[in-house]
Amino acid sequence: MAKTYDYLFKLLLIGDSGVGKTCVLFRFSEDAFNTTFISTIGIDFKIRTIDLDGKKIKLQIWDTAGQERFRTITTAYYRGAMGIMLVYDITNEKSFENIKNWIRNIEENASADVEKMLLGNKCELEEKRQVSKERGEQLAIEYGIKFIETSAKASIRVEEAFFTLARDIKAKMEKKLEASNPPKGGHQLKATEPQRKPTNWLSRCTLL
Amino acid sequence: MGDSLTECMEIFSQDGVQLKTAQASFVNYLNLVGTLYITEYANSNCRRCLEWKPNDVTVDSDVQDQEWAVVNTVQKRSRTYSESLPPDSTIKPKLLKVNFVDIKSFKTSNKNRQLTLFDGKSEIMCCFMFQHGNCDYLITVLRGMLKTIPAKRDKHLFIVIHDESLEAAQLDKSFAELNIFQDPPPTLWKLVKSFHDRPYETTLETFAKVTDYVYRSPEQRDIDDDQRELLHRSLTEYASSHSQGDYEVIAKVPELPERKDYPRGRPLSAEQWKNLQNHEGKIEDVEQIKLMIFRGGVAPNLRYEVWKYLLDYFPWNSTQAERQKLLCEKNDEYYNMKLQWKRMTKVQEDNFSDYRERKNLIEKDVNRTDRTMDFYAGDNNPNLQLLYDILMTYIMYNFDLGYVQGMSDLLSPILHLLKNEVDAFWCFVGFMNKISSNFDIDQAGMKEQLQNLHTLLGFIEPQLVNYLDKHDSGNMFFCFRWLLVWFKRELSYDDVMRLWEVLWTGLPCENFHLLVCVAILETEKQALMENNYGFTEILKHINDLCGKLDVAAVLVKAEGIFHQIKEAEHLTDNIRMILGLPLVGVQQCPEEILSTSPDSPDEDLYERVYDSMQHVMT
Ligand SMILES: Nc1nc2c(ncn2[C@@H]2O[C@H](COP(=O)(O)OP(=O)(O)OP(=O)(O)O)[C@@H](O)[C@H]2O)c(=O)[nH]1
Ligand SMILES: [Mg+2]
Repeated sequence: MAKTYDYLFKLLLIGDSGVGKTCVLFRFSEDAFNTTFISTIGIDFKIRTIDLDGKKIKLQIWDTAGQERFRTITTAYYRGAMGIMLVYDITNEKSFENIKNWIRNIEENASADVEKMLLGNKCELEEKRQVSKERGEQLAIEYGIKFIETSAKASIRVEEAFFTLARDIKAKMEKKLEASNPPKGGHQLKATEPQRKPTNWLSRCTLL
Repeated sequence: MGDSLTECMEIFSQDGVQLKTAQASFVNYLNLVGTLYITEYANSNCRRCLEWKPNDVTVDSDVQDQEWAVVNTVQKRSRTYSESLPPDSTIKPKLLKVNFVDIKSFKTSNKNRQLTLFDGKSEIMCCFMFQHGNCDYLITVLRGMLKTIPAKRDKHLFIVIHDESLEAAQLDKSFAELNIFQDPPPTLWKLVKSFHDRPYETTLETFAKVTDYVYRSPEQRDIDDDQRELLHRSLTEYASSHSQGDYEVIAKVPELPERKDYPRGRPLSAEQWKNLQNHEGKIEDVEQIKLMIFRGGVAPNLRYEVWKYLLDYFPWNSTQAERQKLLCEKNDEYYNMKLQWKRMTKVQEDNFSDYRERKNLIEKDVNRTDRTMDFYAGDNNPNLQLLYDILMTYIMYNFDLGYVQGMSDLLSPILHLLKNEVDAFWCFVGFMNKISSNFDIDQAGMKEQLQNLHTLLGFIEPQLVNYLDKHDSGNMFFCFRWLLVWFKRELSYDDVMRLWEVLWTGLPCENFHLLVCVAILETEKQALMENNYGFTEILKHINDLCGKLDVAAVLVKAEGIFHQIKEAEHLTDNIRMILGLPLVGVQQCPEEILSTSPDSPDEDLYERVYDSMQHVMT
């Protein structure tokens, strides 16, 4: 089967039930918003291939159920994730407080070097806001991760969020490649080699 | 060889013991009363035996050579009978003899008045009825002489451990089987691990330890019944194949009986329903009704009434008058509970985080439940309020369980059908009672089901299970959604109603929904394996079956699978337990079937209804 992409990234959406993970994903993969959506039971994923600096990157984005009770099942899918979106709802204080629990959850179940990003969703609901943008930023700084406020409904910065995460993963990956595969014959080799090596590295990552 | 027989010692005897079941050559002795002995032979391999001899022998036996019939051993006719009874004896009683080494388990039943011995190949060796009292004393004696473990799930079943059978070769098999468990006790796990690395050494060194572990300290270490059962099974399977001489590390896959088609019947009609009620409105033949529903479902216009019975809101044997009374009581009870949360003040709520948490979840889910259906569509739809109120009241009814996602999916069709808050609530309670383990805090119920599904699928489609195991999918998590809400997310509303009402009958066995899963997976086997799908594609493929399943076809297949399993010769107790089938041999005693599994009707009724439906259809 011919590969239609250069890299495959596995991403994960986590956060409390109802913060809008499925809607954010639907916005990103279909550019649509649906108010008749159902809650997520178990786990599912969607695919979207994006262009990033001339590379085709296939994003496989996993959407998990938010309710605590299902965590034993959903964490089984953390393995092999290269990027994780931590989502909270800016109109729901509790979902923001729970982010630290989710981070702990990641530390226990995902690989240590997974790229993380914090999303404050439903940002168009300014009148119902309970979590200020500053608090979101502050938390992100604490954990040393990036932060963006989005709205799946009004289509605000959802694209940007995923592109940012994908770009960070790509940069991290290429840095690793360079470290493990130092250039011998200058630029020439670098231009031809990456075609093969990245797929090797990736297949190891996504095999898990 | 005869001289050994003189050295025979009677250790124990009990009179008034009736022979109920035995191998075919004893047909003339069935129901005769006699004496049961435990005897010991000094110079014999099979030192101890259980022997039964009829009291007065007036039986016209066609056996001329006065032989001992040795039940179910490798060497039949090991000895002649002539020397143990006076040669001048004019009567020729046959003795039934069971060597202790051949007893793999035994079970008491009927208030301990009945004792059944098993040979470990799911066959009854013999069954005795104790006419004067019970067999308690005999059991005490037996347990003093045999090493036994009581089965945890059936306190009347004792599994016998034979030291002699602990040879290396059989261990290959038992360890291979033990390995399928995901959470074995650490000790076992270590053994399994090192077994993989150094198969033979580990086997020889450690099996004795495992046996000790199983046998010596059952009080200190709580070994899981499945593992115990597996050990037992592997021991007995080994023993029974011993004579064939060659051992295999991987067990051969035994053939299943041929799959038969059980075409679906017609839905239960209003007329049939009426005819099955007596003048007071009682349902007389509940089993028959359930069978008809199992076979064909319920006509849509009748669901409104029948679901209340299926969901244990109305007792089947209630009269019209009693139901009227019940409705009033249940109405009051419901509104009492509803008031409890309705009256909660803001301060109370602020100080009650568990309640708040449940309430928030419900609010979110009510807005995400079947909103594409007219009944729940649009903003400010009053039916959403009903959905909300019922779920909130359920919290007060069962606060510990609370609200878990998926529950609104289970309530939605019920409310849609009944369109009445109180009725829908109580029917929902009935449904939840059937499947509340799906929502366990630790998800133990779901995990057990996934494990059981793995076991059942392995019995029907070992190849597919093998494939799934090798592709990181042996945990069966990809079936999680199917099981959690009983296919609510995969099927259309009509199909879900049909499937649920069939499953609610509890027929033809427990956990039939797992066989429904097996049926679907079997259908998808080719797609999964030929495309060489991996972990992600398997999940995707299964998730994408949503909207593509044909309920009737799946049920036909699932029922066919059920009969295949039931009739399979290599059926194990593990599978029997999952499906709630009577454990080894019990099928011989009809009164037991009723007492052990009240939901499974006898074969006769089954055939009868099935035949009558065939007539209707043709
Ligand atoms: N106003 C507004 N509502 C949103 C937005 N995103 C999601 N929602 C709503 O929030 C609710 C929950 O959205 P989901 O995407 O189903 O939430 P989830 O995080 O996937 O929840 P689980 O599947 O239960 O874990 C839905 O009713 C959505 O319509 C948003 O950006 N703005
Ligand atoms: Mg979701």
